[in-house]
Amino acid sequence: MPTAHPLHTHPDTPPRGGAQPQKAAGATPSAGRGTFPQQTRPRHKWGMVVDLDRCTGCQACVVACQAENNIPLNTESIYLQRRVIEWIRIERYWEPNHEQVRARYIPLMCQQCDNAPCEPVCPVYATYHNDQGLNVQVYNRCVGTRYCANNCPYHARFFNFWQPVWPETLDNQLNPDVTVRWRGIMEKCTFCIQRLRRAQREALREGRTLQDGEVVPACAQACPTDALVFGDLLDPNSRVSQLAKNKRAYKVIEDLGTGPNVIYLKKVDPYAPTADHSH
Amino acid sequence: MGITRRDLLKLAGAGALGAIAFNGCRIPDKELRVESPVALPEDTVTGRENWYATLCQQCGAGCGIVVRVIEGRAKKIEGNPDHPLNAGKTCARGQAGVQALYHPDRLHTPLLYGQPVDWETAMGQLVSQIQQNRGRIFLATNPLRGHIAAVAQAFIQAAGGTLMAYEPLEDTVLRTAVKRLFGQDTLPDYDIAHARTVLSFGAGWLETWGSPVRWGKAYGAFRQGRSVVRGTFFHAEPRFSLTSANADLWLPVRPGREGVLALAVAYVLIEQGMASPSATAQLTGGRGLSALSAYQPEQVAETVGISAQRIREVAEAFGSQRPSLALVGGSALAHTNGLFTALAVLSLNALVDNIGREGGVRFNPPPPLDLSGVPPAPLARWRKALEDMGAGRVGLLIIRGANLVYGLPIDPKEFEDLLNGVPFRVFIGSIPEDMAPFGDLVLPELEPLESWGTDWPEPGPGFQTLTFQQAVVRPFRDGKSFGDILLEAGRSAGLNLPWQSMREAVQDGARRLFALGRGSVRAGDEASFLTGVLQRGGWWDTQAQGQGRVTLERAPATPPAPQFAGEEGEFPFHLVPFTPLGIHDGRGAHLPWLQAIPDGTTTVAWQTWVEIHPERAKELGIAEGDWVEVTSPRGSIRALAYLHPAIPPEVVAVPFGFGHAGMGRWANGRGANVFRILAPLTDSETGAFAWSATRVRIRRLGPRQRIPKFEGTVLPVQLEERPIILITREA
Repeated sequence: MPTAHPLHTHPDTPPRGGAQPQKAAGATPSAGRGTFPQQTRPRHKWGMVVDLDRCTGCQACVVACQAENNIPLNTESIYLQRRVIEWIRIERYWEPNHEQVRARYIPLMCQQCDNAPCEPVCPVYATYHNDQGLNVQVYNRCVGTRYCANNCPYHARFFNFWQPVWPETLDNQLNPDVTVRWRGIMEKCTFCIQRLRRAQREALREGRTLQDGEVVPACAQACPTDALVFGDLLDPNSRVSQLAKNKRAYKVIEDLGTGPNVIYLKKVDPYAPTADHSH
Repeated sequence: MGITRRDLLKLAGAGALGAIAFNGCRIPDKELRVESPVALPEDTVTGRENWYATLCQQCGAGCGIVVRVIEGRAKKIEGNPDHPLNAGKTCARGQAGVQALYHPDRLHTPLLYGQPVDWETAMGQLVSQIQQNRGRIFLATNPLRGHIAAVAQAFIQAAGGTLMAYEPLEDTVLRTAVKRLFGQDTLPDYDIAHARTVLSFGAGWLETWGSPVRWGKAYGAFRQGRSVVRGTFFHAEPRFSLTSANADLWLPVRPGREGVLALAVAYVLIEQGMASPSATAQLTGGRGLSALSAYQPEQVAETVGISAQRIREVAEAFGSQRPSLALVGGSALAHTNGLFTALAVLSLNALVDNIGREGGVRFNPPPPLDLSGVPPAPLARWRKALEDMGAGRVGLLIIRGANLVYGLPIDPKEFEDLLNGVPFRVFIGSIPEDMAPFGDLVLPELEPLESWGTDWPEPGPGFQTLTFQQAVVRPFRDGKSFGDILLEAGRSAGLNLPWQSMREAVQDGARRLFALGRGSVRAGDEASFLTGVLQRGGWWDTQAQGQGRVTLERAPATPPAPQFAGEEGEFPFHLVPFTPLGIHDGRGAHLPWLQAIPDGTTTVAWQTWVEIHPERAKELGIAEGDWVEVTSPRGSIRALAYLHPAIPPEVVAVPFGFGHAGMGRWANGRGANVFRILAPLTDSETGAFAWSATRVRIRRLGPRQRIPKFEGTVLPVQLEERPIILITREA
């Protein structure tokens, strides 16, 4: 029997389609809840740690993401329609109940949930969970029902209400590794899956495993304050795994059972009215 | 003959038909799977990429970047991880360098009196103008450093005339104070990462001031980079900016009173015995605390708008939690008493004895290779220069990167009249910005990613650094780099200039660095040294550090009061203009990514807004999104009202950067230019533009449907009952 090309047989290459319910019947059932049973042997569990005490809200991540992922231009008319697409966004909340008004910042992106509420509602399996812990969107399956966006408690999904337009020469900048999404397609943060795949292929070609810190999404690479750290939560020695043990660690609206893979570290405010609070 | 279904199946048992029939009846295995055969993001095959190190020129900081190039197109900009200034990081503006490169409205042909001409004709015209106007040439540029500065200086020296740099928000006041206190010609670095307390005045160092990527990197380490200490940050600024929002305590100081606040802090330091005795002696002229009696916190609290208790609290933290560091810049220095403020704040560093120490002020050495920069000239000198032009004392004006008509506080008609005194004007630029219509000859310039050069960052990292700029892609438009235009035209005009081209200048620079035999790049020969510096993105020598002395000046017995344009009765608000995160002082207005950046506190994009306190807005009958008129003694602009819960009631804030005439489709005519209503006041000693010293009144014009802001675009995740931003008091 001829040997298949190593790129097709290596364990780092997921089977087409990722989650495969009919095969998973014989697999170990998921420990927790969830529509799709957990993979038997997840190889990676990509996650991110966001340190709110480092984040200044400077928007470097937002523009870096737009540059990397061919996000349509958010023109003034898009703003006025409230259809701005920012895979990673800075939310700013006023806290008026202090001696002086405060502004708090939080970067929000797809939380790559273990039990992603967006997945079971997609009628065409355009969104699925792969064996690296990623919630993946297949653009040419999406029919634009927008059920997933309705179901996402983090508002991390964005719909292309319009055909994206890059006037004349501006399209020279588009990243060839990332599909341009058509009108009618849902999109969201991918943890820069194109960078992951490129690095995994490089590592495979060189016959080695990926090193911690070798793959960095565009947002984390730009972030001047190092507030965003990306890595494999299955690797106990990775920086994300270490930071996730921090006593300030928490996950956003975790009580919904979504199992987010983005871990936030609490903002420190020595002038906060109570020792541990949220407002 | 009829064939029944049964017959067909029998026949099909063997033969060609079988394959067809069974494929038709049986569902193939792969179709039982839930997915259809589509291209998953995981299957995308990627092409070859190349990364080239070069220089970022989206602002004046001078970060090192690496550019991802695929098939000859620049795709993405990242920070150069080797570069000592930004250590692999970038800001939003840096990311947008690729958009500037592929901007659809870039100039692509030379224009002579508005008509397209070929490069030969255009350069011929420039050469003859240089020859005719020897000694009467005026070269107006943006602030220059590195070899481009050397070329401009050599050109003007050989051709005869004046070289002056223009920046709307000049740093003359800070440079003067640094020179007088520390004897430095370059701006110092601040070791924020290792400080325990940072007290800043006006400087938006987390947004646009100085070297924001460097400070941002340091800020992360300052907060959470040490296991036991979390740095404490106090920020004094009349406006609630992004930097104010990130401070542990924001001190909403009255505009123009920042220097008094700084000396009140100095008073407490001395009173509590926390100040260095030698610095105290210099600051007080040997008279001790009594020399500062005018700055006692209890006495100045009302003037500065901060309670004496708060001043003492901040001063005691600043004096006891060391190393501590004081920074000043931005609106704090844009007053008629700006130099007083700069001297007062910088003196705090000497009082806590942090000069040259870890967590303190670090001096930068002079740049290598005897290069020298062209810093921005103060407003007073520009006014004089324009008078010269109006009086016909300039024969040839070459404008590059100096958007005079946009930023100078001069009536546009008067400006035009003065400029008409110059018989021939040349505009060099990549985008037809506001000054382009003044050019009798317009020359399309290459973008930084297509050009060669060198640069040293300012403020630098505390040691000698020379960043190398290389062309990472072939020119996308038919243009020439600024340096090449000067060298080519100058040589054709018979001037004695040191190099043939910018590329040769860069190679020569590398050769001379190689001869120094020190620094980060070592090589056996000149050629591999040049390759080395281009690969690494530059050369630096961590051993070549800055030296300096400290001589404080005596604090004035009574603080100089700031002057404002406009009477308080008629113009009840202080106008504090500011540089927004994206478009900065207007230089980024042509880039849609930067226009679309939500503002740091208001989240507004794409339009000029005015930040006003909700209660004052209520008094004036103004709701969010209303069009309002902001009127100063000089004129009026229109802006959208944003009710800002944190801005002091006596202050309104308007962003710089909007209201261009030209600059491409995304900037032209968009929003209002706040420079138009700023009074032409200057700092009394340096002649620098006091752009924060204008008073205004506000009037409602009419309603608008909606304000373009990010806030409210997605439903807020954080709700009363479901907080998502968790806060702890303990580090």
